[in-house]
Amino acid sequence: MKTLADLKKIREKAQEEMKLRGGNTRIKIVVGMGTSGIAMGAREVMKTFLEEIANRNLTDVLVTQTGEKGLSSMEPVVDLIEEGKPKVTYGNMTPEKVKKVVVEHIVNGRTVSDYVVATGN
Amino acid sequence: MQDISLHLLDIIENSVRAQAKNIKVRVVRNVHLNRLRIIVEDDGVGMDSHTIEMAQNPFYTSKEEREKKVGLGIPLFKQNAELSDGCFKMASEPGFGTVLTVDFKLDHIDRMPLGNLKDTLLGAIIGHPEVDFNINLTTKEKGVEQSFHFDTAAIKEELGGIPLTYPDVIEYIDQSLFEGIQNTNMEDV
Repeated sequence: MKTLADLKKIREKAQEEMKLRGGNTRIKIVVGMGTSGIAMGAREVMKTFLEEIANRNLTDVLVTQTGEKGLSSMEPVVDLIEEGKPKVTYGNMTPEKVKKVVVEHIVNGRTVSDYVVATGN
Repeated sequence: MQDISLHLLDIIENSVRAQAKNIKVRVVRNVHLNRLRIIVEDDGVGMDSHTIEMAQNPFYTSKEEREKKVGLGIPLFKQNAELSDGCFKMASEPGFGTVLTVDFKLDHIDRMPLGNLKDTLLGAIIGHPEVDFNINLTTKEKGVEQSFHFDTAAIKEELGGIPLTYPDVIEYIDQSLFEGIQNTNMEDV
C-alpha cells in the first residue's frame, strides 16, 4: 500500500537531482483533451506519454491537458513546446506514434515530420 | 464514447474549463440498489438555469471561437445514461460551482462499461496540476461497503515543489489508483 512516507522519499530524491542539474523544464507536452480528442483516443495518448516519462526517467519534461482548439479532424492532437523554438503540433496520434515522438523528438531532439500537422503559433 | 470513464474525463475537462480549483469525483457501485452512480462536483464559475438547459442541447457550445455550434459531451453522456434506465442531473449556481449526478442501472444490458477509470483519473490529476482532486470510490455489495479515498492536495503538499510529472510521482499515483480500484472491485464493472 502506498503511503505519504513514500512521497517524502521521492521528494528527497528529486530535490537531490534538481540540485545537480537545475530544476528547469526543457519540453512541455500539451495533450488536447476535448470531447472529440477523447473520443479519438486522447486518453491513451496521455497515458503513453506518462508511461514513457516514467520508464525512461525523463525529469525535465512536463505534460498537461487542454481543451480542443479547432483541429477536430486530426485528433488526438499534441503540442510540443520548447524554449526558444517554434511550437510543433502532432496530429492523428496513437500510442505507437507517441513512443516514436518520445524517442526521436524528446530524447534525440529531431522532429518527426511525418506526424506534424502544424508548426509555430 | 465507448465507456463511462471517457465521459467522466470529458466532464472533468468541462470543470477545468470552468476554472474549478477543486473537483470532487465520486463513483458509487451499489449492487443492492442495482445502481452505478457518478458524481462530479466542482467550484468553477457555474451556470444559470438557462445555460444548464442549453448545455443539454447538442447544438449549443460555450466555446465562442467555434464556427460550427455543436457541443456533444453532455448530451451524449445524458443519452447513454437514459439508455440504461438511468438518469442525468445537473445543478449549478453561478459563482459557486456545478454538481453533476449520473446514474446507470447496473445490470442493464445497454449500460456501457465503466472502462479504464485508472487512466482517466491519472491523466486528469497529472494533466491539471493546478486543480485539486478529491476522489472517492465506493462499492456496496453483499452487505459490505468498501471505499477508496484519494486526495491530491495532501500529495502536492508532501511533494513541495516537485512536479506531478516527476517519474516516481507518476508511478506513485498510478499504483495508488490501481490499488484503490482493485480494493473497491471497480476494475471490471
